[in-house]
Amino acid sequence: MTERWSPRRLVAAALAAAFALPIGVLVVRAFADAWRAPAVIPQRWGLRGLREALSGMALDAFANSLIVAIVVTVVAVALAWPAARVLGERRLRHPALPFLVLALPLLVPSYATGAGLTQWFLRLGLVDALPGLALAHLVIVLPYVTVVLLSAFGPPVTALEEMACSQGLTALQRLRWVTLPAVRPSLAAAVLLGFLVSWSEYGSSLAVGGGRPMLPLVLLPFVRSDPQVASALSLLFLAPAVAALVLAARAARSPL
Amino acid sequence: MLLGGALAGALRTSVTRVEGDGETVTLAAWRMLLRDPAFADAVLFTVRIAVLATAFSAAAALLVALTLRRRGTPLRALAALPVPVPHLLVAVVAVLWLAPGGLAERLLGALPVDLVRDRAGVGIVLVYVYKEAPFLALLLLAAMGRGMLEREEAAAVLGATRWQRLRWVVWPTVRGPLVVGCIVVAAFVLGAFEVPLAVGPNAPLMLAEYAQQATQNDLLVGESLQAAALLVAAAASIVLAVAAVRLAKDPQGD
Repeated sequence: MTERWSPRRLVAAALAAAFALPIGVLVVRAFADAWRAPAVIPQRWGLRGLREALSGMALDAFANSLIVAIVVTVVAVALAWPAARVLGERRLRHPALPFLVLALPLLVPSYATGAGLTQWFLRLGLVDALPGLALAHLVIVLPYVTVVLLSAFGPPVTALEEMACSQGLTALQRLRWVTLPAVRPSLAAAVLLGFLVSWSEYGSSLAVGGGRPMLPLVLLPFVRSDPQVASALSLLFLAPAVAALVLAARAARSPL
Repeated sequence: MLLGGALAGALRTSVTRVEGDGETVTLAAWRMLLRDPAFADAVLFTVRIAVLATAFSAAAALLVALTLRRRGTPLRALAALPVPVPHLLVAVVAVLWLAPGGLAERLLGALPVDLVRDRAGVGIVLVYVYKEAPFLALLLLAAMGRGMLEREEAAAVLGATRWQRLRWVVWPTVRGPLVVGCIVVAAFVLGAFEVPLAVGPNAPLMLAEYAQQATQNDLLVGESLQAAALLVAAAASIVLAVAAVRLAKDPQGD
């Protein structure tokens, strides 16, 4: 077999095609004003899909989804940090129960979580409000962030921190110059995962949102009724996910 | 605390009926639910889809991980590309490719079976396999690491065949992460909502779809039915997780 068709290149080509072909069709469909079967190439190109997608609630939905995803990710990392630290450094004598409680939201359908929370949020005036949506998403995002983050903590980070302490660094300096750089890859992965889970969350948004537009809720009805608008909205849906992936990949390069 | 509140809220709703100014405690919703043949169909359909999607994802992930275990970061990154893509977006892609009159039919001619909105739920399974197999493969590749390759080489030097190396070196290394990953995937599929709404059949329904329809079909007890159905889905996830952990335990206690 020649170098041109080496197994490595064949595997790479197959993997790249498995991703690029399905997603690439989204781009084509979003700009195809007429694409009737059995044609393989669109009969007419145009911007109807984008115009229709952006003329409705999509921009409000985009903003709502983005605000909720960013707030939830920040709060989840702040809450997960101490829990991940304690679990990762194995400071608990019996870690199984706290870990189980922490991971339980992964097993409960998000629509169930949202529907259950709605009963309390109605009394608190949190239904149809961004804080309510953020709280509902937080229940689902927190375990993902904690599980990813706890892999960062352990004896190597503790040893580095002790070394820094012996050199006279303050707690803030240790966090800035030692801990954050040491856990950066896991932190970046946790932030990425937290953002993506909240960004694509459907069930709890439907239950708690009370009709407030969120991007997945706005997109779904178009899947059956108008594939071109659905494709245009999908590109809008994909953009922040890709941006978050690129930012996380850049941030993950640990200097330590 | 929030999850406990949510489950308590769902339980309370499932046994409460609003009458006039007050509320009464009743098991009417649970009785209706258990007598409804559509609910039994939804439970069976949901469990079947979850088991199939998880099994196929695990098999595909094992295959990908075994192929890529000696490969570098670029190939692994390529394999992981579907991970950040939202499920709903993959469902949109599935409709564009696999629905009647979709791109697959235009390129290959009529497909022998319906793959989108079919009664067997093939479309739902395909969407989850495309999304979850790379996620599981990442977990397996992280578990395999350099240590396993060295153990495999040592076993080969001692004369172990390819099958023996798979059975006694690779499988014990990946079994734990694979079970954990499969539990997460199965639980995710048991609560599936937007994917079956996009590519699933009108009947039978997945449990989350059934719960949503209950609120639209019955204004009096709809919310109680919804809460009860979702509690069943949550219970099914937890039971499946416990069963998977027990099954995966080594007879020697490892």
